[in-house]
Amino acid sequence: MTLLELRGVGRRFGGVVAVDAMDMTVDEGEILGLMGANGAGKTTLFALIAGNLRPSAGEIHFRGWRIDGLRPDRVSRLGVARAFQIVRPFAGLSVLENVAVGSLFGTGRERSIRRAEERAMAVLEEVGLAARAADPAGTLTLAGRKRLEIARALATRPRLLLLDEVMAGLTPVEVSEALDMIQALRQRHGLTIIVIEHVMRALMRLCERLVVLHHGVKIAEGPPGEIAADPRVIEAYLGRARE
Amino acid sequence: MIGRHFRFAGLLGVAVAAFALVPRLGGDYAIGVALNLLMWIALTQSWVVLSAMTGYVSLGHAVFFGAGAYVMVLCFGSLPFWLSVIVAGAATGALALAVGYPCLRVRGPYFVILTFGLAELVKFVVINIEAGLGQFGRLLFGGPGLAQIFYVVLVLAALSVAVTWFVRRSRFGRGLRAIRENEEAAETLGIDVARFKVLAFALSAIVPGMVGAAMVLRTTYFEPLDLFNPITSFTIVSIAIIGGGDDVPGPIYGAFFLVLMQELLWANWPEVYMILLGGLLVAFVLGVPDGIHGRVAAWRRSRR
Amino acid sequence: MIDLFSGQLLIAALVLAAIYGLVALGLNLIYGTMRLLNVAHGEILMLGGYLAYWTFTLTGVGPVWSMFLALALAGAFGAAVYRTLCRRVLRSSRLIEQIEANSLLLLFGVSIILQNAVALSFTATARAYPYLDDIVRIGTFQVTADRLVVLGIGLALSLAAILFFRLSATGLQIRALIQQPDAALLVGVDVERMRLIAFSLGFAIAGVAGCLISMLEQVSPFMGFPFTIAAFVVIILGGLGNLAGGLAGALVLAAIEVYGVALTTASMRSILIYGVFIAVLVWRPQGLFGGRSLVR
Repeated sequence: MTLLELRGVGRRFGGVVAVDAMDMTVDEGEILGLMGANGAGKTTLFALIAGNLRPSAGEIHFRGWRIDGLRPDRVSRLGVARAFQIVRPFAGLSVLENVAVGSLFGTGRERSIRRAEERAMAVLEEVGLAARAADPAGTLTLAGRKRLEIARALATRPRLLLLDEVMAGLTPVEVSEALDMIQALRQRHGLTIIVIEHVMRALMRLCERLVVLHHGVKIAEGPPGEIAADPRVIEAYLGRARE
Repeated sequence: MIGRHFRFAGLLGVAVAAFALVPRLGGDYAIGVALNLLMWIALTQSWVVLSAMTGYVSLGHAVFFGAGAYVMVLCFGSLPFWLSVIVAGAATGALALAVGYPCLRVRGPYFVILTFGLAELVKFVVINIEAGLGQFGRLLFGGPGLAQIFYVVLVLAALSVAVTWFVRRSRFGRGLRAIRENEEAAETLGIDVARFKVLAFALSAIVPGMVGAAMVLRTTYFEPLDLFNPITSFTIVSIAIIGGGDDVPGPIYGAFFLVLMQELLWANWPEVYMILLGGLLVAFVLGVPDGIHGRVAAWRRSRR
Repeated sequence: MIDLFSGQLLIAALVLAAIYGLVALGLNLIYGTMRLLNVAHGEILMLGGYLAYWTFTLTGVGPVWSMFLALALAGAFGAAVYRTLCRRVLRSSRLIEQIEANSLLLLFGVSIILQNAVALSFTATARAYPYLDDIVRIGTFQVTADRLVVLGIGLALSLAAILFFRLSATGLQIRALIQQPDAALLVGVDVERMRLIAFSLGFAIAGVAGCLISMLEQVSPFMGFPFTIAAFVVIILGGLGNLAGGLAGALVLAAIEVYGVALTTASMRSILIYGVFIAVLVWRPQGLFGGRSLVR
């Protein structure tokens, strides 16, 4: 069943076209990988889906609702959560308070602070940050902040989770742990996930299907094996990466 | 959780009872000092709900104090004292709702100077209206006595303390503090930031309006330049910075500190008082950004 | 009925624009290079005004000469404020997160200190001195000589500033710092030194502007703040950090103020300034002439 559908979505900044006439569907329960060089339009696409940016063309449908042009908080209520590429922790609040904000708002909209914090604690257990619950979020390492970003998004109880380079800058061991964690989260919460990642190995292991962007245009789509062999992709992306 | 609220209510009740004894035990001087203290506590607690919690620093809260006073002046003689105070609070809350949406789209330092400009604009508009009406300062005879004003401001101070306490511990307050830390992340997590900010603005405007309405009768004279004085806004910010934090204790520490300084210096050396206040602001911003409250909390933790 | 095309009004608007342009230039320079909002800017102008007043009253030397003293003293004072206070904000990782709000509160404290220190020293009485107040006739209209002097000096200084930023190595480095702070660092701009120069220069220009204003208006300890606000209006009109836009903004504000008051009454002056200020902040925070959005 289709959860998210993009029809001819475009966005320009002045004269620059960041995303052009993008068609894409995401099925319920799927993990979809978004690939592309820097500036290919991946993060812009997330911002368009999550409502942080307004598309200049096209329509976005989520669970049958038209969500393009809706404010981010509205989109979040409908069940989309976004983990930012550049982490945005609430640095002055504790780790637990950070995640509790997710439970209090988002899709779940827990009314009681006590129950929100209980749920936040459960999420922190899942991402392995429970021991740091009382510390200010500003004191976490980069790997910790990436996990916090995921935990906060997860606490909103989303149907669709947008993960933007949550593994960038991590050590190979940390990447491996993160992959296991994302798999486990999908299983347990029945999530649909779109992943942006530069770590190719990670995308290959994690995703059933990949979409490749180049200068804002979709140039290929398919299972990881096929994509890795696609000459257009190799030219646009992998070719340069292998140099 | 519930126990904490009871303990707070108990403490607040004891404090109110203690202050309520002041008019019975002390003379006009003691009442004046206590009234001054309560006024600054009420104004700064209200400011905290907006500025300390959301990070939208208002340098124009005098506008609500002055507007409330002006409402009292307009109602004077036609409505009972207590009713005028409530009308003033409703009016300043409505004013904040009306201007809040466009103003709160402006972020950071632009918001700070915007609030200052807004307060000055309203001041000059009121001066012009009064001039147009042929009024140059109004005398307000036959108002309530000092003790009656004192009790009203005592209730308002207790109200403002309770509002800060409950907002700080509510879902709404969590949303406000998330907005302060990162507005875009807060919005993406499902917080209706525009509505939250405007509600906080309105909430922070009501008590100052009522305090202004009560305090204008203390001097029995309405002069827009005094009631919309930017020094009022500046003092509120100074108390909050010196007191520190986004919770109930900060404004109380700050107000005690400031009123003590006022009593020692204001009457004879007003310029020295202002110079010290400016110096304290500089020193606290650079050296003690978490204020007295932050220092006290750190000291307590270290003793445990 | 007022003649809107009279030379008096035109001269008044140009004189005011010259003053606003100078005050705003300094404010813009400091904001552009460091993101510091100098709300004490009007107080530097006030100090310049007092310097000119006392120099004239005690020694008979006119503001056209004491201006140079003001330039040096205000510049030195700027360097001192930068070294002792502002650099600490720029160097603290905690304070720099909210640099604009923190610098605003900090410099607000400085402004309160200066106002009251002057009030304490010289009382709050407004003071004025007679200087070049004979009337000059140009064609059909008459104007006092002091206004022409202010206009001339103001224009000369603005021109000098424009040439400085276009042609001198220091000026180019400062502009690079305003437009591309990271890139400026990479190509070897001495950021620390440029910041010090920009801060000091901003104060120096404000000091000179104060001398000029003292020829036209009374000086008093609390005269500065309206100029700070006017300067904010000007640079918001012209775009924060946009030095040339600021000069255009000065002309716009001065015209609105002079012609607005001419069409209504003098008591509308403050309402006009604050009204324009709020309208611009709310509707065009990136300025009338700037395209770059500065509200993030």
